[in-house]
Formats: sequence, structure tokens, C-alpha cells
Amino acid sequence: MYTMGIDVGSASSKVVILKDGKDVVASEVVQVGTGSTGPKKAIEAAFEASGLKQEDIAFTVATGYGRFSLEADKQFSEISCHAKGIFFLVPTARTIIDIGGQDAKAIRLDNKGGIKQFFMNDKCAAGTGRFIEVMARVLETTLDEMATLDELATETAPISSTCTVFAESEVISQLSKGTSRNNIAKGVHMSVASRACGLAYRGGLEHDVVFTGGVAKNAGVVRAVSSVLKTDVIVAPNPQTTGALGAALFAYEAANKK
Amino acid sequence: MSKVEAILSQLKEVAANPKKAMDDYKAETGKGAVGIMPIYAPEEMVHATGYLPMGIWGAQGKQISKARTYLPAFACSIMQQVMELQCEGAYDELAAVLFSVPCDTLKCLSQKWKGANADKVIVFTHPQNRGLEAANKFLVTEYELVKAQLEAYLGVKITNAALENSIAIYNENRAVMREFVKVAADYPQVISAVDRHAVFKARQFMLKEKHTALVKELIAEVKAMPVQPWDGKKVVVTGIMLEPNQVLEIFDEFKLAIVDDDLAQESRQIRVDVLDGEEGPLYRMAKAWQQMYGCSVATDTKKGRGKMLINKVAQTEADAVIVAMMKFCDPEEWDYPVYYREFEEKGIKNLMIEVDQEVTSFEQVKTRLQSFVEML
Repeated sequence: MYTMGIDVGSASSKVVILKDGKDVVASEVVQVGTGSTGPKKAIEAAFEASGLKQEDIAFTVATGYGRFSLEADKQFSEISCHAKGIFFLVPTARTIIDIGGQDAKAIRLDNKGGIKQFFMNDKCAAGTGRFIEVMARVLETTLDEMATLDELATETAPISSTCTVFAESEVISQLSKGTSRNNIAKGVHMSVASRACGLAYRGGLEHDVVFTGGVAKNAGVVRAVSSVLKTDVIVAPNPQTTGALGAALFAYEAANKK
Repeated sequence: MSKVEAILSQLKEVAANPKKAMDDYKAETGKGAVGIMPIYAPEEMVHATGYLPMGIWGAQGKQISKARTYLPAFACSIMQQVMELQCEGAYDELAAVLFSVPCDTLKCLSQKWKGANADKVIVFTHPQNRGLEAANKFLVTEYELVKAQLEAYLGVKITNAALENSIAIYNENRAVMREFVKVAADYPQVISAVDRHAVFKARQFMLKEKHTALVKELIAEVKAMPVQPWDGKKVVVTGIMLEPNQVLEIFDEFKLAIVDDDLAQESRQIRVDVLDGEEGPLYRMAKAWQQMYGCSVATDTKKGRGKMLINKVAQTEADAVIVAMMKFCDPEEWDYPVYYREFEEKGIKNLMIEVDQEVTSFEQVKTRLQSFVEML
């Protein structure tokens, strides 16, 4: 049996197709999200990669910011889906830090994968992927290059985590003072990490800590999160698609209940 | 339309149109209205003047602009809205405004408003060291000043007899509303979260005796129906307020029945009565403040709010507590870590959502509530 999970985020669309609730046969990401052609393109890419057709899919679950914007058999919140996907990949996970395009979450799990508590960022881009995107533009670099700059940093330029617009002016001010782009990139990552880790502290920290979401692909933020939490963090395999994976797992459970 | 729907519709109409409620009252009685700022005020005194007490709890979705002259962006959301509306003259028709000042933002707003309208703003202080008898005496003195100013601004003498009558009317309304809370918990299929809030909100813009009569009728009609099993979840909500209706509609969509609340705008207003006694009405009203409990702006050295909420969960067999955190409300934020720890120790599921009167998009609240329901 094949089931599909679609995670329509603010910045990207992700699709995972599962066989019998355990084997990933397609895992596709398109870097545009809700309100765009992203979801459609991601679904088409997943069909092409797996050689499957719509009629082969027994059940589809949608998640993410745009979960109600497309046709699916059922919708689950991204918090439930990330928890489900992470626990499937890392059964020892007890704290999840998920940083996506426009939100950040900290999720606590019990030993059966059930959600004990979760905290989400408020309506603010600080501490999210969007924050890094804005700063990358000011630093005249790409998102992918931010981790490379960070690695070359000799110290951390202080960048506040309160407000993206304010922080942007701080970055400009640091540049005009001659602070190196490397140190600023590291400061940006520390800023995002401190904000997101504040959510984890609110709910209490329990090991293992797993970092997921699109921002977990950035090694600079991974180092920053580890430094702020003063502990090792496990980076989820394919962190951008754990929500879609969780959705596909929920779809498998729902299909079996039918 | 059933009788229940008709009563609810009437109350919703009042809740949604406070200006009309005030204009109708003026046309009917020839008297005006007095604004009652959050969170607590001796409203009975205003009622005794024959003026209509009107709750002032901000507005939803209004862009803050003029208030920025006085308040930073990081100030309590409701106070920003009130200040914006005050700057725009929305409250100019009020004959007076009663201001208690239990938090810093209220203190600043009261002084700003007083600067613009010295002849109508009445500011008084609730004593925070509430365990002492001296606190009651202090508050009586404050209430005497409030009374004198009301009499001067409105040109009405407040007699003890009128005040005793108003106290009795308010006590009855509070008792009826406490019963309504239980009825709403028993009949979530009939009283939705949106309906429940409207019944509470309407009492801010109506004479309490009229409100009491309608709610009594509503309770009788609802109780005549059979109690049905509820296939959703039951929650207790806490915070300053839980608005707007778009958020409450999400509660209804996900079948989250509000079986009890600890909202400053709702049940905290009906928690404590003015008791009978030999003492004069002002003293007994002052004593009610001493008896107030479980509120972030009423100092409680023992921090009993968590225990109170845990008891509410047990009494109502609720599945969880939802914290409606007023954005940038310091007193509420300070209480949160204390009762959050108690919830965790007792294994009480809980969720915090943010209440921001400026926002018009509720997708994030929806995600949180959906996740929470999935978690429960």
C-alpha cells in the first residue's frame, strides 16, 4: 500500500510517498510554498521519482501552513506530523527543535512518540528561516553560503533576536563598521538559535534533542543550536521532509483504519 | 428561530454593537454612559447613578498608529487599542471613565487620558497588600473619592439606598452568570464558545438587571433540554480575555468546549460578591477586593492561581487548560511559569495561545489548536 504526505510550508513544498508505512519511495522538495505551483510540482516530482500514479495512493494527508489549500483525505497540523516523522526516524528523540521558513517550534515527546508539550514562535520572523534569508540578502550571499561563512568566523558579531527589521539594521551597522561577513553570519545564526532554543527551554529540555526543518540543513545554525543548548543535537535525516514523512505515516494509519 | 437562538441573538447583537447599546440607552433614559476600564472597578456605584456602565476592553483588528505617540510597540495589546480609540475620540461621548491602575500600562494610560479630559477621568488605586484591615480602610477612602467625583461629573447624588439596590442587582447577576458557566459546560452542543463569550460580553454594555433577566430565561430554556454526551474535548481557559470571535470559532470547529474560565473579562468579574453585613456599602465593596483571588493583578503571595485552575480542571473533568496570553501583559506573563510548573507536576495538559488585538490573521492559532486537539 502506498500513502502520501504533503507538507505545504510557507517557503517550500515537500512530498513523501511511503510503501506499507515504512519504506520511502519518493521524497521531493520544491522551493516554493503555499499559494504557488509548488505543491503541484512536488506531487508531480514524487510520482515521477516513484513511477506511481494518483490512483496508486491509498490515502493522502496534508500538513503545513497551506494544508487546507489543497485536496487531501485529511489534514494534520505540522507539529503532529514533525513529531510523527522524527520519532519514526529517531525513536530516542524526546525534544524536537523545528525551524522552518516562517516559524519555529519546540516539541517534547514521550517514549511512545506522543506529544507531551509544544511551543511555537509568535507572529515574528525572528528565529526563523526568513530571518536568515533577509540577512543573507544584506550580506550579499546565498542561504547555502551562510554556513560556509559561519565556519570561517573568528568571533560572533552580536545580532539581537528581537525583531528582524531591527536586526537587519544591526547587520548593516556591523558591515559599515567593517565587521567581517563571516562573523556577522555566525551572529545571525546565534540569534536564530537563541530565539528558537528559548522555546525549548520554556517546555523543558530532555535528551535526545533532534533538530529538524529546512533550517537544520544549515550547519552554522546546527552549531549555534548546540552551543546555545550546551549539548549535542542530532540533525534529522532529510530535515526538510520530516513533516511530509509524518503526514505519510498518519496517512498509512488512516488507510488501515478505513 | 428557537427561544434559545432568539435570546443568544439578542445578546450577540448587544455584544457586537456597544455604541448602539449606549445610544439606545441614552434615547430611552436621557442619561449617558460611564466607561469602565479593565480590570476591576466599583461598577455598582456607576449603576447607582442611573448611568450605563460600559466596559472598555479594546477592539479587534485596528491598526495602531496614534497610540504610538505614547506607547512603545511592546506594550499590552489591549491598552494599545484603547489608547488608539481614545486618541481618535471614540470614547468622547462617555460622561466619565473609571480607571483602576493595577499595572504600569494602565497607570500611564490613565494619566494620558486625564491630561486630555481632566473633568471625566476618575483614577483610583486598589491596595496590593490585601491581607491587612488597613487595605480595606484605604480602599474605602479611594471609593469615597470616586463617589464624590462621579457625583460631581454626573450631577447625581449617590444615596446609600441606591447603592445597596445596585449591589443586590450585581450580586444577582454574578450568581446567575456563575450558573450560566455551569450550564454552558453541560450543553456545549447548544452554547458554543462564540455564544458563551457573547453572553459574557453583553453584560458589559447592558444594565445588569436586564442582562440577568435574559440569562435566566436562557438558562431555563437550555436546562429544559436533555444533556447530550460531548464527543469533543473540554477545556478550561485562563488569561485576560479570549477574543475575537474568529479565535472562538476555531474552538468550535475543533470541538473544544469551554467548560470553565478564569478570564479577567469573564469569570473573574463574577467570582466575588459584595457580601451582606452591618458595615456600609463602600466598606463591603472594598472588602470584596480583599476576597478576590486567582488574578494576576491582585497580589497573592501564595500564588494560588495554579491550584485554582487545577481544581477547575478536576471539577469540570476538563481535558486541558488553554492559556490565552494577552500579548505583552507583564502581570499575566509573570504568573505563567508558576502555574505551568504546577500543571506539569500534575500532568495537566496545557497550551498557550497569544491574544493580540491588532492581528487579523488567525492561521497560527488554528495550527496550535489543531495540534493540541491531535495531542489530546
